[in-house]
Amino acid sequence: MTLLFGFYVLIWPALTLGVLLLICRAVARDRREAKKDHRTLV
Amino acid sequence: MNSASLHQFSTLTVILLMIAFYGGTYLLTLSIRKKKEDADAFMVSNHRVGFGIGAASMTATWIWAASFYAAATSGYTYGVSGPIHYGLWGALMILFIYPFGRRFRRLAPNAHTLGELIHARHGSSSQLILALSNLLGSIISLMVNFTAAGALVSVLSPLSFQAGVIIAGVGVLLYTLWSGFRASVMTDFAQLVALMAIAVVIIPAVFFAMGGPTELVAGLDNLTAEQANFFSMDAILNQGAPFFVAVLAYAIGNQTISQRLFAVNEDHIKPTFLTATVGYGAIVIGLGMIGLMALTLGVEPLNGDMNNLIPQMVSSYLPPVFIAAFFILVIGSLSSTADSDLSALSAIMMADVYGKNIARGKADPRRMLLVGRITMIVATAIGIVFASFSLDILVMLVFVGALWGAIVFPVIASCFCNRVTNAAFTTSVLVAMVTFCVARFEWLPMTGVAGLGFEFLASIGGGIIIALMVFGFLGRVAGAIAGLAAFVAMLVFATGFLREYTVLLASLTAYGTSTLVCVVMSLASRERFDFDTIAERVGNYDAAEAVTVADERPPKPAPAGLATQR
Repeated sequence: MTLLFGFYVLIWPALTLGVLLLICRAVARDRREAKKDHRTLV
Repeated sequence: MNSASLHQFSTLTVILLMIAFYGGTYLLTLSIRKKKEDADAFMVSNHRVGFGIGAASMTATWIWAASFYAAATSGYTYGVSGPIHYGLWGALMILFIYPFGRRFRRLAPNAHTLGELIHARHGSSSQLILALSNLLGSIISLMVNFTAAGALVSVLSPLSFQAGVIIAGVGVLLYTLWSGFRASVMTDFAQLVALMAIAVVIIPAVFFAMGGPTELVAGLDNLTAEQANFFSMDAILNQGAPFFVAVLAYAIGNQTISQRLFAVNEDHIKPTFLTATVGYGAIVIGLGMIGLMALTLGVEPLNGDMNNLIPQMVSSYLPPVFIAAFFILVIGSLSSTADSDLSALSAIMMADVYGKNIARGKADPRRMLLVGRITMIVATAIGIVFASFSLDILVMLVFVGALWGAIVFPVIASCFCNRVTNAAFTTSVLVAMVTFCVARFEWLPMTGVAGLGFEFLASIGGGIIIALMVFGFLGRVAGAIAGLAAFVAMLVFATGFLREYTVLLASLTAYGTSTLVCVVMSLASRERFDFDTIAERVGNYDAAEAVTVADERPPKPAPAGLATQR
């Protein structure tokens, strides 16, 4: 039970961290592409 | 509202935090500012926003201040499953819209609002119904977010509620006014990074400071049987079901979502919305767990106000630097939603009201920009006034919710079926609003034939919600089978029972009535619509921009600038 509840609470910040890293990587790629095409990010 | 039990910042500290946040955000917008903004970019950027910025913007927009408070309240009230029943359905609102969003985008690749698409499909009356629902929704959202800023500032500092409202309103307006949607999406990214980083730290920090999993499990004795049950019917019926019903309605009725559907690179719609679904769910459910922790510890919300739960837990277990981080977390979430609301409101006024109904195809892009900026200023003033005087918006909220439910089927059917007419759209929404009011305000006693009739309409509503959700992902046949099965299940289980749940009955009645009227009237019509004409009718307002986009999209019908159309 202890392990299960620990997992139940901590899985959400772990998922948040995963999404944060994914988004940061994608934005860095978007930025590189925008720079290559001589346009702004937005 | 101030309480000695919560950590109190000095006035100077709070003002410095707000200046750092809004000043930093404003400086960020300077990096994308153009001396001469164009109308299309002001509304939807260049229709090619990348996956990263798009996903960040969608997530940040959908997370508003109330998300944290309500998720924690849900965890505290319904126990183990509470945070899921708040966060999961909110996340699914993003997920379930994208299959329809791809269709909207295919029909009108250069649209700025969903209303423009509906205008091209049906004409002004249907479009204005949609625009009105979007306008009301964004005004309410703006007011709620400014209210949250005022409440937070007054709880954590000696500053007044009104001071918090005004600082947030002016701060958001300041960085959004010049570049509109472009500023909104750019700052959304920065705000989301801060928001996520803080959530990643705060949730485990509170969890381990309170004693970790051992303490949580020991505290389960404080829960009732329903609260300790992961499949609690109480949580499902009172928290999950009303949210589930609203999944499609919130997504269709919200211009902040449509705007992003039309702004992101068409090939990236799916990953963008999938990522935003996971991101939203993880942050909101995670912060909702703080409510569950408070429940297991037997914490009583300060002054009986559930909104104090998270600040109370953070204050009790963590040093002041975490409270400052929490402060930024809430200010970031409410500001990202408020700037999206301002951008949404300006796009509706620019495209739906001025572009389609005042200029009627001869829109001047410079005047459009002026309309957009004036809209932002007026909307901010309205939001500040409504929030400052804590006006009761319950009735407005009820009507907007009903309107969103009523338009779901007509909007989606109009984009897939060529037989739906303008009269069917408009009439179905109006009739649905009437039946909604009859059920919601119990103008008729929900007994006997009336009770049965409304439960029948609500069963159609339940069936159509499931049908549309399944149809979005699996196609017509699967959608029809699932919808029929849900309709029969509703008839069996809801008859004689649903009338006890007035809000749920009324919401489902709105869906059911609009579907029934829209289907009957459309089947009786001989009109057939050519969907290809939508792309020709909905284009960019800046002709030069339109040519550029057309050149880059050879397989699609080349859109003409609206200034040169009709």
